[in-house]
Amino acid sequence: MIHTPICDLLGIRYPVLQGGMAWIADAELAAAVSNAGGLGIISAMNAGGDWVREQIRKAKSLTSQPFGVNIMLASPHVEEVAQIVVEEQVAVVTTGAGNPSKYMKAWLGAGIKVIPVVASTGMAKLVVRNGASAVIAEGGESGGHVGELSTIVLVPQVCDAVDVPVIAAGGIADGRGIAAAFALGASGVQMGTAFLVARECNVHQNYKDKVLKAKDIDTMRTGIRSGHPVRVLKNQFARDYAKMEFDSNVTDEALEQYGAGSLRKAAVEGDNQQGSFMCGQIAGMIQEERTASEIIKSIMAQTEQIVTGGCPWVK
Amino acid sequence: MSTFEKVVEILVEAKDLEAGNITETSTWDDLGLDSLDTVELVMSVEDAFGVSLEMDETMQTVGDVVKAIEALK
Repeated sequence: MIHTPICDLLGIRYPVLQGGMAWIADAELAAAVSNAGGLGIISAMNAGGDWVREQIRKAKSLTSQPFGVNIMLASPHVEEVAQIVVEEQVAVVTTGAGNPSKYMKAWLGAGIKVIPVVASTGMAKLVVRNGASAVIAEGGESGGHVGELSTIVLVPQVCDAVDVPVIAAGGIADGRGIAAAFALGASGVQMGTAFLVARECNVHQNYKDKVLKAKDIDTMRTGIRSGHPVRVLKNQFARDYAKMEFDSNVTDEALEQYGAGSLRKAAVEGDNQQGSFMCGQIAGMIQEERTASEIIKSIMAQTEQIVTGGCPWVK
Repeated sequence: MSTFEKVVEILVEAKDLEAGNITETSTWDDLGLDSLDTVELVMSVEDAFGVSLEMDETMQTVGDVVKAIEALK
């Protein structure tokens, strides 16, 4: 049996968090992951307060287990959503796309466990000083908004930099990945792409099919010109977008306009013409649609087998 | 040494910038620093001056940081 400080901290059976994927991670997916023994997470993305409140209440009706809300700090509704998680007494808040320091006092005061996603040791130290319960060290293998450092480089350095539990994310979708994360010093993992194809995930079937079909080299980064790179599946839309980024005749405004709403088009409409199918590099290893419970149980069984077997090269 | 000079020294040391290129009106963008660089800068400044800063939208330039430090000193 695998049991880590993350299990105790969050009151969960398996040290596995589900990534807060915008337009994808709703109450049903979060509840399914929490019911399976991990920590499900609702993505508040750019949504208004009413939608977030409704999703939180829906998740509570679907599971008695703890779950979290991922707050995207660049959201126009961040102030409102930051207050709603307090009112609704959410167990865990994870944050992305920025520095959560200004909200942390209110969340911690409400007894919420705050676990920011960090892409550098500096950010990890800053959020821990402000009271973070743990940090998610997310490498650039992830889907969606990504930092520069890879998971294998980032995780051990974050572990050395802070004295709270570290959750590894980016490029993890099987027991080998989790065993490697443990070897790097992490005591838990967060997986997004692996849960995107869960049966309980309401993302458009075209999106799931594209992830299932993807091979190792089928993702790329767009948004490099804006300074906010995003990992997506390669399609014509992504290639055209990347070309426009290198075209100095295309203004920043025109570029932003071109990309606007593209994740929603992918996730909700399955639109391959104008959709951004955000997805991690690990998509190549994800082969079938299974329930959240099947995903977690099989991955944890494999993890246990690997770590108890030790390293075959040690004689 | 003035607060500005000290901040410049920190920037030069941590980010391998040319001191001559840094003025009070230099923005992070002008200096080629991203958000993770500025987080690290805040940590270094706090250690050096013994103050606690909040890195928010009001801090866009080197001069903004200098002003914030001087207000707290």
